Amino acid sequence: MSLRDHIGDYRPAPEEARGIDREKAVVLAMFLVPGLTLFAIFSVGPIAYSAVGSVFSWEGFTIGQFTGLDNWIRTFRDPLFINWTNITEMQFPMGALAQNLLWVVIHVPVSTLLGLGLALLFADLTGRRILRSMVFLGFTVPTIVIGLVLLFVYDPQAGVFNAVLRAVGAEGLVRNWTQAPQLAIFALIAGGIWVQTGFSMLLYSSALSAIDPSLIESAKVDGAGPYRRFRDIIWPLVRPVTAVVVIMGIIWVMRVFDIVYAAGGSAGGPGHVYSVLGIEVYRAAFEAPIDYGKAMVVALVQLLIVAPLALYIARMN
Amino acid sequence: MTAISMEGVSKYFDAGNTVANYRLDLEVADGEFVVLLGPSGCGKTTALRLIAGLERPSEGAIYFDGERVDDRSPSDRNVAMVFQNYALYPHMTVAGNIEYPLKVRGIPPDDRDDRLEEVTRLLHIEDQVGKSPAELSGGQRQRVALARAIVRQPSVFLLDEPLSNLDAKLRQEMRSELKRLQNELAITTVYVTHNQEEAMAMADTVVVMNRGTIRQIAPPGELYDRPRTGWVARFIGSPPMNLMDGTRRNGSVDLAEAGTVRFPGAPGNGDGTVSLGVRPEDLSVSAEPPPAGNAIEGVVDTVEPMGEYVLVNVTVGGRVVSAKVADTDLEREDRVFLTFEDDDAYLYDENGELIAPT
Repeated sequence: MSLRDHIGDYRPAPEEARGIDREKAVVLAMFLVPGLTLFAIFSVGPIAYSAVGSVFSWEGFTIGQFTGLDNWIRTFRDPLFINWTNITEMQFPMGALAQNLLWVVIHVPVSTLLGLGLALLFADLTGRRILRSMVFLGFTVPTIVIGLVLLFVYDPQAGVFNAVLRAVGAEGLVRNWTQAPQLAIFALIAGGIWVQTGFSMLLYSSALSAIDPSLIESAKVDGAGPYRRFRDIIWPLVRPVTAVVVIMGIIWVMRVFDIVYAAGGSAGGPGHVYSVLGIEVYRAAFEAPIDYGKAMVVALVQLLIVAPLALYIARMN
Repeated sequence: MTAISMEGVSKYFDAGNTVANYRLDLEVADGEFVVLLGPSGCGKTTALRLIAGLERPSEGAIYFDGERVDDRSPSDRNVAMVFQNYALYPHMTVAGNIEYPLKVRGIPPDDRDDRLEEVTRLLHIEDQVGKSPAELSGGQRQRVALARAIVRQPSVFLLDEPLSNLDAKLRQEMRSELKRLQNELAITTVYVTHNQEEAMAMADTVVVMNRGTIRQIAPPGELYDRPRTGWVARFIGSPPMNLMDGTRRNGSVDLAEAGTVRFPGAPGNGDGTVSLGVRPEDLSVSAEPPPAGNAIEGVVDTVEPMGEYVLVNVTVGGRVVSAKVADTDLEREDRVFLTFEDDDAYLYDENGELIAPT
């Protein structure tokens, strides 16, 4: 005896069968149109435009002949985009793509771990709100200002960083950090970490405060010391946040522009030593000689790296 | 097996501005089931946390079997605790939760499995071991929390309102099961609750607390028969004891308009303000004045038929006195007389201390 036997020959009406409620669909569309319009004009449109434009030749801002993968090949052979010789010799400049990926490799783990560390440190401290606010302040400051502040911090005469070096007797290390070809990128990454740590600390702090204190106490009673409590209880419970922190970090870093621009102008430092993808797009698109094809390719490369990550975040529960 | 002793233990928070516990003296014998009973905010949970080692006493000392343990961590004290919200680790399975204390203690996997099997059988949760806590019902979670607590054979078993999140039927079931379990395992147990029914049903000894201090320590029967203060009298019983203010004069208590009650047996001859206490179940209600014996006069306010008994609320001199009777045909506004045996009356002095019976 199944349900079918009871229902017999009942056939749902065609519309019902398709599961569509016409009125509901109209209302849904009505609400979606304004948002989708904006999305189409400002997101999908430009992406499609670049995708198409990247396979055409350009005369200034005028689209020319279809050239296939010409722009792509040219860009990937451009040492400003990726410089294989220097990469093998571990010499800067390595090209914007390699330098940008270096940002990811250093910046993301360090800012994530620092954020987690500070969140754990501040969790039970009196005055934690003030401390948290101070750390988070870095994230709220416009990044162009961060770039300018970095210039001051690393200034050879007036800079705090060099003053500290002098104070600890490391006079030999004193230099203009943002202009030192082989070191400048690390100085800038440090600034980026300062910004991103505030963000990751905040996310971890809220994840930590969402943990029921009785779980920690229960683990204490069960005999777990601080390390095991972290490993067995705290870490598994804040792990979902780590995915967000890491991916947001990668996205942020792949789009980094202001800090680098403030420190090194549109060249991305002396001899392009710390240029990043954003800088290359800017220069190709807005500075003579204008190379619109390359700008589009570089922007698309940025997008191809970031989009899957953004998609992953958006689909997370 | 462990005996617990607290000597003059106080706990202050906020640099002494909040007194959670004040000068607690408590002896818990080995294998005893002690219930800390009191209203919310009376400091009973803090007292439990002091025993657990989750809080350090501000003053006083705590001993386990004569050894001072104030500075020892909860795991060194070998206590196990069941939290009000069960505190199951949400990212571990039921088995993972129960085995966790064993794992932390480095017990080999084979032993762990044996003990897991044993304890899950004891608590009838064999079928749940692979599930995550989120998939369990409240009662099952409760059992898992209990299993996690007993699996490592603690010397002291601490429970913080473990049944308060369960529905009434389940609470009753778990109550008897907990008592059975404690009897079988004979682990020294301290149990915190605000529910006097739970306390009376399970405890060997009830510790009544209010405002951070211990008000009375007694077995359930004695607590009911001889509440040492007016506060305890009003806290125990459902509904609690009726206390009527009066003036004591020459061996009788003058209750103003409600009449005068003879109270010959009471010690001391001090006249003054007293409270006369009679439990609702010891009062009889009648429309006619009794030929002899004590009677209090009043007017019926409400009649609550509870099935098992009828609760008659009578207004006596401006306050309501409850009487539990088997059956009644009284109605609101009826003038009635409340009578009771001399032996069933309690007398508290103006400080709320018990005067009689001695």
